[in-house]
Amino acid sequence: MSKENNDSDHHGKIVEVEEVVEFTPAYRWQHWIRALTIVVLTITGFYIAYPFIEPSANVEPTNFLYADMRAIHIAFGFLMIAAVLIKTYLTLFGKAHTYKSELVSIKDLINPKIWIQQLGYYLFLSKHPHLHGIYNPLQFMAYMGMYVLFYLLTITGLVLHIHVYHEGLGGVLYGVGRWFETLMGGLANVREIHHISMWALLIIIVIHIYMAVFNAVFGKNGSMDAIFSGMKWNKNIKQ
Amino acid sequence: MNDRIKDITYDSLYKTFEERIAQLKKLPKMREDDSIESTIEKHGFSRRDFMTWAGAMTAMLSLPATFTPLMAEAVKVADRLPIIWLHMAECTGCTESLLRSANPSIDSLIFDYISLEYQETIMTAVGWQAEQNLEHAMEKYKGRYILMVEGGIPVGDTENFLTIGGHGHSGKHTAELASENAAAIFAIGTCSAFGGVQAAAPNPSGAVGLSEVTDKTVINVPGCPPSEKNIVGTLMHYLLYGTLPALDVFNRPKWAYRLRIHDLCERRGRFDAGEFVEHFGDEGAKDGYCLYKVGCKGPYTFNNCGKQKFNQGTSWPVQTGFGCIGCSEPNFWDTMGTVNEPLRDRLYATTFSGLGADATADRIGVGLLTATAVGIAAHAAIAAVKNPKK
Repeated sequence: MSKENNDSDHHGKIVEVEEVVEFTPAYRWQHWIRALTIVVLTITGFYIAYPFIEPSANVEPTNFLYADMRAIHIAFGFLMIAAVLIKTYLTLFGKAHTYKSELVSIKDLINPKIWIQQLGYYLFLSKHPHLHGIYNPLQFMAYMGMYVLFYLLTITGLVLHIHVYHEGLGGVLYGVGRWFETLMGGLANVREIHHISMWALLIIIVIHIYMAVFNAVFGKNGSMDAIFSGMKWNKNIKQ
Repeated sequence: MNDRIKDITYDSLYKTFEERIAQLKKLPKMREDDSIESTIEKHGFSRRDFMTWAGAMTAMLSLPATFTPLMAEAVKVADRLPIIWLHMAECTGCTESLLRSANPSIDSLIFDYISLEYQETIMTAVGWQAEQNLEHAMEKYKGRYILMVEGGIPVGDTENFLTIGGHGHSGKHTAELASENAAAIFAIGTCSAFGGVQAAAPNPSGAVGLSEVTDKTVINVPGCPPSEKNIVGTLMHYLLYGTLPALDVFNRPKWAYRLRIHDLCERRGRFDAGEFVEHFGDEGAKDGYCLYKVGCKGPYTFNNCGKQKFNQGTSWPVQTGFGCIGCSEPNFWDTMGTVNEPLRDRLYATTFSGLGADATADRIGVGLLTATAVGIAAHAAIAAVKNPKK
């Protein structure tokens, strides 16, 4: 899958550009599914918290605006849960190089030198560290935080779900859901934790998008392209 | 459950109840000269009224209509159960709501009649006599009395904030002592169930619910106040079964607190339709639109107000056009946010000496997002002039 090019106009040095698979198709799909669901869930979620649209007047009792919003929220919520579960499985047990190097990132995460270098790079003080894994330590922490929030949103979302839908999945999860409800001190708190987690996730996403653009602009290795095409170019400078 | 199994189950349950009532009948009555039956009659209720009540109570406890005569029997022997009712840190609203009705219901008459042993609000004894009555009742009916507690209980350094009587016992001391030998313990009202309003942050009196001061199972009957039906129903349930009812995660009887206010709401259709009252007194309010946007906390609150209603079944908050305030939930004063404002506008006590006083989750979120955007813009601007090192 890799091909080599010789590029000689890099200050007279020989630069070998290697095309590598950064993200597998499954990785890219779940990323964009999550991105889509977050957008839809945020909009419908704000409506559920405070219904800001009034339905058009209708003499027939056929208005179901709030119920429709909730239905969309629930559908996309379950889609998000599916993507998160699949991604969690792939990260832990995936055979492809992408997932293996995700876990290799832990090696960089526990190395204080890389932390300092990475912070230095973002503060324009030092060079980008050489990483063993796919994520730098800051990135790894941000993504870990995201997953904590995803699971928090999932749990609180399901606790809210079981009180509207008592049959089927709601019935199966009722017992464990109510256990979480007591843990959080009542349904009002569950609602608040759900809402606050969304805000935390939004802030991480804004930073995530900026950092992705920043690294695409200055890294010049197709790191932004990788989330669309899967491919990235590693430069190996030779004397 | 198919019908046959249902019949067999109910048959054996019926026999159990019959035996239980027969047992209770053997116990001495509280007053030899009077009975619950005659009290109800004296207050102008006919036999028909009484049987209607018994039928309603039977249905409320999810028993078939054939159990109605048993329910009527059970009420008659209710005076065999000694009840000790303690008042802790509270407003006496739970007791008052039961007693101070213009037209006393059968529930309140029963309550009034059976609360004879020790009830600080309605007993005639005062001072040392009252103290002695309590000690006497706890000793005489050891292991047999039903303990009903109203009010939160201050604990820790502030335990003596609630000190009652000539002996100067703290509320906690009395509650612990009374719980020790009770056959069943009911925490009546949100204060004794979860601490209530005085337990609201910062909880200056250190008030907690009854379940925090005793190891024994406490049946919570929260509400501010709980409806008379829920109080008397809990008692009738214990009277019939002789065991504690099925409880939910917050130890509330499932027959009353299984569903949310929202699930039993007459305005639920308006909610799903997206038709909301925008402010009190608008056209939507006149048309009975949903009160969610004017702060109804029904979606987070478990209770049966919509079914049982208050004031002899006349009405309940949502019916009158005022949203639920979530009074039967733990720490509702803190978790539900401002009354008449949706949960979205719940305020967070932030520092910066009042600068963040009106901070809702959304406002804090927007603030942090703005700070993030400013940080990003600054970083991007620096990056534009000073490229990162290669």
